[in-house]
Amino acid sequence: MGRTLLCDVLHPVNWSLFWGELVSGLTLGSIYALIALGYTMVYGILKLLNFAHGDVYMVGAFIGFFALQWLGGPLDTVVTGWVAVAVMFLVAMLGCGALGVGIEIFAYRPLRNAPRIAPLISALGVSIFLQNSALLLWGPDFRSYDTFNLVGVKSYSIGQNFFISNLQIFTIATSIALMGVLTLLIARTRTGKAMRATSFDREAAEMMGISVDRVISFTFFVGSALAAAGGVMFGLVFGQIFSLMGFTAGLKGFTAAVVGGIGSIPGAMLGGFLIGLTEAFATGYLPGGSTYANLYVFALLIAMFLVRPSGLLGSPVIQKV
Amino acid sequence: MSTGAPEPPDARDRPRVGVDEWVANVDERRETGTGVTGFVARTWERLPAVARLAILIGPFVVFPFVTNEGNLFRYGLITVVYALLALGLNVVVGFAGLLDLGYVAFFGFGAYLYGIMASGHSGHHLQAEIAIPIVVVASALLGLVLGLTSWRLLGDYLAIVTLFFLQAFVIFVNNANGGLSDFSYPFVGRVDLTGGANGLDQIDPLNFFGHQITTTKGYYLYTLAALTILMIMLFFVNKSRTGRSWRALREDPLAAEVMTVPVNRLKLLAFMFGAATAGFTGTIFGAVQSGAFPGDYDVGLLITIYAIVILGGLGSIGGVVIGALVVNGVPELLRSSTNARFLFYAVIVVALLVAMKPWYRAVLVLLGTIAFGAVVHAIAGAAWSRSTAGHIEGGGTFGRALDHWVLIPTHASRLAGWAYFALIVAALLLTLVRGWWRAIALIPALYLAAFVWENKLVEQVSGATRLIMLGALLVVIMNVRPSGIFGTSRVEVV
Amino acid sequence: MALLELRGISKAFGGLQVVSDLDLHVGEGEIVSVIGPNGAGKTTVFNLITGIFRPDSGSIVFEGDVVSNLSPHTITTRGIARTFQTLRLFLNMTVLENVMVAAYGNTRSTIVEAMLQLPRSRREEKEIRKLAEEKLSFFGQRLMGYRWDQPAYSLSYANRRRLEIARAMATGARLLLLDEPAAGMNPVETHEITDLIGKLRDDGGYTILVIEHDMHVVEGISDRVVALDYGQKIAEGSFEEVATSPRVVEAYLGLRKAETK
Repeated sequence: MGRTLLCDVLHPVNWSLFWGELVSGLTLGSIYALIALGYTMVYGILKLLNFAHGDVYMVGAFIGFFALQWLGGPLDTVVTGWVAVAVMFLVAMLGCGALGVGIEIFAYRPLRNAPRIAPLISALGVSIFLQNSALLLWGPDFRSYDTFNLVGVKSYSIGQNFFISNLQIFTIATSIALMGVLTLLIARTRTGKAMRATSFDREAAEMMGISVDRVISFTFFVGSALAAAGGVMFGLVFGQIFSLMGFTAGLKGFTAAVVGGIGSIPGAMLGGFLIGLTEAFATGYLPGGSTYANLYVFALLIAMFLVRPSGLLGSPVIQKV
Repeated sequence: MSTGAPEPPDARDRPRVGVDEWVANVDERRETGTGVTGFVARTWERLPAVARLAILIGPFVVFPFVTNEGNLFRYGLITVVYALLALGLNVVVGFAGLLDLGYVAFFGFGAYLYGIMASGHSGHHLQAEIAIPIVVVASALLGLVLGLTSWRLLGDYLAIVTLFFLQAFVIFVNNANGGLSDFSYPFVGRVDLTGGANGLDQIDPLNFFGHQITTTKGYYLYTLAALTILMIMLFFVNKSRTGRSWRALREDPLAAEVMTVPVNRLKLLAFMFGAATAGFTGTIFGAVQSGAFPGDYDVGLLITIYAIVILGGLGSIGGVVIGALVVNGVPELLRSSTNARFLFYAVIVVALLVAMKPWYRAVLVLLGTIAFGAVVHAIAGAAWSRSTAGHIEGGGTFGRALDHWVLIPTHASRLAGWAYFALIVAALLLTLVRGWWRAIALIPALYLAAFVWENKLVEQVSGATRLIMLGALLVVIMNVRPSGIFGTSRVEVV
Repeated sequence: MALLELRGISKAFGGLQVVSDLDLHVGEGEIVSVIGPNGAGKTTVFNLITGIFRPDSGSIVFEGDVVSNLSPHTITTRGIARTFQTLRLFLNMTVLENVMVAAYGNTRSTIVEAMLQLPRSRREEKEIRKLAEEKLSFFGQRLMGYRWDQPAYSLSYANRRRLEIARAMATGARLLLLDEPAAGMNPVETHEITDLIGKLRDDGGYTILVIEHDMHVVEGISDRVVALDYGQKIAEGSFEEVATSPRVVEAYLGLRKAETK
């Protein structure tokens, strides 16, 4: 009888579903990780929850879309498919980087010494402003990247159950590459060192000759550029973008940052993948499926707060007198 | 060598030995503002609390007798409901300093719970005097549970947890209609709890001991009474040990903690109080709408209530009422594009006159803008006839006059989009210049603003435009006066 | 039995050992001064006593009960109150309100009672007000009369220090921890503070633990002096004994010149 039970447990594993959700989760997770990085970097340096970050991600996706149109549209590109994609990335990242810097200068910088709640409200205001400006200018309809015509969608398989598309490989690989560049930037360059110093103690960094304003601007630039990259990737992989996409993505990106340990860059990456996998596996396996997938992510967040408030890789917050 | 008993600095009958001239004249110098606003502020502060309450609430009491039902509902009842909500949020954000981004979920919770207890949909018909206390307590408990989850980290993390809670709430009520994908609840199996995306309909009117409230006027007066009572109670709380410790913990949580104030417990209390208030208001709203619909309890409403609290001044009880009037009244006025247009230009003119000193500089800017616009319009009309071919719908004489001043091209949409972008950049750049340069730069900027307004913003006046204004308003207010318009400006410990 | 006893207290932040195996006791009615160069860990000791930090090892016993694991507001209600080196008043609240806040731990009326203005709430409100006025009167006329309704930020520096002490008194504490009460004061004010601390013990019945740098104050008030350096106790005794102890001199002034080669 024991043997039959064991067989029952092992046998009906739907490997195809499992690998499918795994790949899906990693793809989604890499996008969330890119968004989470922006949140965690800004929080580490300014102790500010940048609510507008999700909407910067959305703007990135749209800039990518318009860049594509400018290049002739998915069917008629002036340059070959992947080169067009590269241009889209470049334009979106630069554009959103500038947007992020602008937001910091006008909405957050004047409030550096104001009560904690003021920049949070300001961030909220920027978020609504961006969201509704997008609605106003571009309408609520979905816009399609039409990746099929742009670069073509190819599917690769290993064995009978593992499938992965070229876009998914691209997303995961590019994200990891970008994260690698960021880590090198933080660890090896002078600017990276300045960023780390500023996030430890802003005043001391200033007294050491670091231009704190410039470091902060740079942080916003990088964070926003990464979010934009995530936006363009989302458009490529999932095909459709819309003005309100920043909201949920931003929330999940923030959850990823917190779960991984806010202020910690490897934490943000880890958190991103974790949230992506949770969402994918919840959709595939848990009751309620895709409708309630967000609720499961939420439950994960709550669980993390109860068990380990500083996140997986974060350092416990020392209360200073 | 001691200085002896202190006298008020404006004591006139003592010799001012050793006191320098500046100090001696202190009674002639006041800290409040100059001009009209200063005068109003000073008179207001000297009034006893009862008088202030009467001045604020008086117009509201009179309102139903001077207007029709439609206006009473849109301008009156909704304003009072918002004021109630904002008052609750004010306790959480303004008194205790917590950023609760899921606040309207408690509002929805109240409406839905009341609906579950008293509606044709659910089949129960509890009377209000039983249902309402249950809702209030349940909301407070829900607030307790939610607040406890981030007990040690009340603050930034609470913001995210509550925001997520709101999302979870919306997803839940959108789906908990007993469909096949739902959970099977213990004891009752699959139940249609919330009516799903269509909402929980046929909610009973409020029924107190047999008397039902069925008219708009009835609900209005009931809600107004509730608002007044809550304001009075909050006034007392502010002067009590709880209110004092809330203010202390807002000032300096660490110092408060070592001065016997259990900071975390009080934050939780504020959070629960807010939740209970929102739940209570939910019962009213559910009864008024005769239903609870998922779309009503979303982030848009959250932003609106926040705008009211910020505008009215964090921590200011009376300010919240005025904030509700402005934030609700103004967009209602904006629903008709004629009104909206009028308001838009009026606000610009008033803002110029108030903000630019001296006043004649503002007048010069306005005249300059009109002249500039006329010239541009004439040139553009002559050069590209298409640029002025469109025209303004409605608006009467004012509209017709504008027609000859603003450029209204045909097929303006894309151009207007770029113009919008240019306007934002211009507005930001304007903050960087000063003095006469700013005055000069304002002229084309204002003309551009009119262009963007007529060709783009006016289309979406009740939707995106309103929220764009709110968003910009929040950012501007935080930059100019972080404590809100009617809040007292505070000295911060740096 | 001592009113307050620290037994083997240690505290480290990251790799830095700030307090190391410290034993300290304060008897009832005593005035004990804690001295030492900057960074010796004196304020950290205050933070440990008042529960802002938890000691890594050792225990803190107050009136026979272990308080090292309690939350700050509980410890204060038990009877230990402090002032801050850098002054932490509630600047936007009035002078009287600052003091009234501290009475929270000894009152009971709830928010509901306040909302409905029930008798207990009204009564406690009057009592708190009286208590605050009484504590403020301890400082002469300086913080009396029209001053009660002035915002705290309008006070002069010396008056702010006095207000902080009044606030600590209103908690109902029996042990006061004063962190550099004479910092930033001119000689006249310093003299007044010295008198005040004595008065706190003689008229107010408080036991006092003081951190101070100004040796005139320390000499004028202390029954006993404890010297710390690098988180350890290096001397204890009367002012004369400690001031002339070679280890203390070395801590403040460095090794004697002859020995530095």
